[in-house]
Amino acid sequence: MTSPPPLPRPVRAEAGEPLDVTMTVNGTEVSLSLPARVTLADALRDHLGLTGTHLGCEHGVCGMCTVLVNGSAARACLLFACQLDGADIVTVEGLGRPDDLHPLQEAFGAHHALQCGFCTPGFLLSSYDLLAHKPDVAEEDLPVELSGVLCRCTGYRNILSAVSEVAGAHRDGIPGPRNCGRHVLMGHTAAEPGAKSAPEPVGVREIELPQGDPTFTVEVTQELTASLEKTWAVLDDIDLVAACLPGAELTEHLGDEKYRGRARVSVGPIRLSFVGLAQVTERDAAAHRLRVIGQGEDAGGGRTQADILLVAEEAGAGTRLRATAQVYLTGRIAQFGRALAGDVSRRMFEQFAAAVEETAVSGVRTTARKPPGALALLAATLVAKAREWGRRLRRAEHNPPTHPKGTQR
Amino acid sequence: MKAAPFAYVRPATLDDAVAELVRSAGEGKVLAGGQSLVPILAMRLARPSTVVDIGALSELDFVRREGNELVVGALVRQRTLEGHPLAAEVPLLLLALPWIGHRELRSRGTVCGSIAHADPAAELPAVACCLGASLEIAGPAGRRTVAAAEFFHGAMATSVGAEDVLAAVRFPVAGSGEGFGFAEIARRHGDFALAGVATRFRAGDGEAVLTAFGVSDRPVTRDVTGLGDDEVADLARGLVDTAGDTHGSREYRQRLVAALAVRELARARRAAEGGSA
Ligand SMILES: Cc1cc2nc3c(=O)[nH]c(=O)nc-3n(C[C@@H](O)[C@H](O)[C@H](O)COP(=O)(O)OP(=O)(O)OC[C@H]3O[C@@H](n4cnc5c(N)ncnc54)[C@H](O)[C@@H]3O)c2cc1C
Ligand code: FES
Ligand code: FES
Repeated sequence: MTSPPPLPRPVRAEAGEPLDVTMTVNGTEVSLSLPARVTLADALRDHLGLTGTHLGCEHGVCGMCTVLVNGSAARACLLFACQLDGADIVTVEGLGRPDDLHPLQEAFGAHHALQCGFCTPGFLLSSYDLLAHKPDVAEEDLPVELSGVLCRCTGYRNILSAVSEVAGAHRDGIPGPRNCGRHVLMGHTAAEPGAKSAPEPVGVREIELPQGDPTFTVEVTQELTASLEKTWAVLDDIDLVAACLPGAELTEHLGDEKYRGRARVSVGPIRLSFVGLAQVTERDAAAHRLRVIGQGEDAGGGRTQADILLVAEEAGAGTRLRATAQVYLTGRIAQFGRALAGDVSRRMFEQFAAAVEETAVSGVRTTARKPPGALALLAATLVAKAREWGRRLRRAEHNPPTHPKGTQR
Repeated sequence: MKAAPFAYVRPATLDDAVAELVRSAGEGKVLAGGQSLVPILAMRLARPSTVVDIGALSELDFVRREGNELVVGALVRQRTLEGHPLAAEVPLLLLALPWIGHRELRSRGTVCGSIAHADPAAELPAVACCLGASLEIAGPAGRRTVAAAEFFHGAMATSVGAEDVLAAVRFPVAGSGEGFGFAEIARRHGDFALAGVATRFRAGDGEAVLTAFGVSDRPVTRDVTGLGDDEVADLARGLVDTAGDTHGSREYRQRLVAALAVRELARARRAAEGGSA
């Protein structure tokens, strides 16, 4: 057994007044400011964007909201987030990653233990707790041991066989959660229902890039007609760089190569407005390299962090501009899908490169561009996708399926 | 299903907690594990002006042996006690704890919270009554100790007043030659019992005690020393003091509690006489 979790700090708050809570969620420390009546389940879902924790009954009966609190399964709907100051929470998002699922997740898939999947997060964490504390549990005890979670799809048989298989394979202890590390999670305070106005996002003060894999990586190379010198002149001027970024605006120079800014992005029905910080961490005039890290929060609790490297190099009379960005998303934007988010980012870079070109060639500051128009951006993305599919189809025609797979690429 | 707004305090000492309850003039509520209180707040069955969270009272975070008693402070969670090395000194606790709801609820629910909540169908109040535990209450006038037999006044009513905190429960540790039994019938595992019993038997003098729960507005305890099975069954039937409800008629509960009483007294006797339970 590990040492007992620390007790929370003494506090006092009037009705409705927000309280500060610091806890570790999936390995990441988060600080939230919430009224006392907000449950852990709501804090996870609405304030941290971790919607894997489901809510059914909201009074402790159905088990949908089961998460790990200090290593033991507990109902997130029966806990006020403020009680958890100093606690360690693991949600289904922390259990595994899409490319590295926890054995329980693998087994649930293999045994068809999830139908609609609504109960799955609760069952995963409840059975994780069971196997972590009772690795020798007998198969015939599983129905009773797992009775704290209800499945409306009545997938019990398959759930039991999944858990039983994992129990059998790990009698010496179940492997720990696979996705607990420093992630992008933001202690963001969404508006309390009935509150007069949503508090302004505080705005980050320090940029910290998360460890672990980015949500997606974009690599784009664009040929510009402008000379290397002229292109670098644009890149070397942060105001010009910002002006070339679709939807972005620099609001403050903080010194020390740090900048505060705003960005608006809209894609289809999604409209995000970010406030954040950027910092130039590398500016190499000789190699024409510029590295910027940035971090922004949007009003819905989403957070984006990016590590962007821009390299300009001579290409004939013009310039080849190469951008590599590692982007980390959380909150509702993360649900947006890696592929589409990546496509949108690529589009944005193409627009950026075009603006750099325009600025470099004309030598005039390209005035603040419109935020990438909702339709325009999505349409461009979809057109690009359609073209790619078209290409694939044509390629497939030339490479009938009888060919070995490898030759298609 | 969201609690109405309330003022929230998490004091650092037991004295401060009592002072906060006094200050809220009967409108305050103690929050321990929250496993009963939070649903009540969520359903807005209760709308306290102030919730006094005792979660930071480190002075109540202990399980210790004092003389012939196992003392369990108000911060101790049901699962913590289940896994505690000292719990074996009160075997009836170990028999009863797994019946409380599910693991997920016992992770947070406290031993004292269950006793203070005093649901007529809850397990720990019955354990406290069967063993003759005593309850330590801290209030504005200082500390007092109340015997389990006097503590439960009715459904969800106890000696803990609106300005009091149940600080600890003292369970007598098992003497040599003592055996115990515990069982209940619920519609499914983890539900509140339709009927349940806790039993105790002492080998030397044959003292036998039966506590029934879920059949009245509070646990009912009887000395059944020297009674035969039929007499025990009759007595147990007579303890049922509730009308039937949708989950079972009065007669059904009588049959359940009679069968459980005979069976669990026999288990206690076997354990006391050295056999396995
Ligand atoms: C789905 C479900 C199933 C359940 N099944 C069972 C079951 O089978 N058996 C069972 O016994 N219980 C059951 N419970 C309730 C049980 O889990 C709780 O452990 C227990 O009733 C309350 O303990 P708590 O520490 O969570 O108290 P809380 O919910 O925090 O408080 C409950 C009440 O007691 C008061 N209180 C708590 N601690 C103190 C104290 N130290 N001093 C003064 N007042 C105090 C509170 O003010 C409140 O009125 C169930 C609950 C749920 C949601
Ligand atoms: S939503 Fe928490 S138990 Fe049902
Ligand atoms: S899979 Fe649908 S609720 Fe369980």
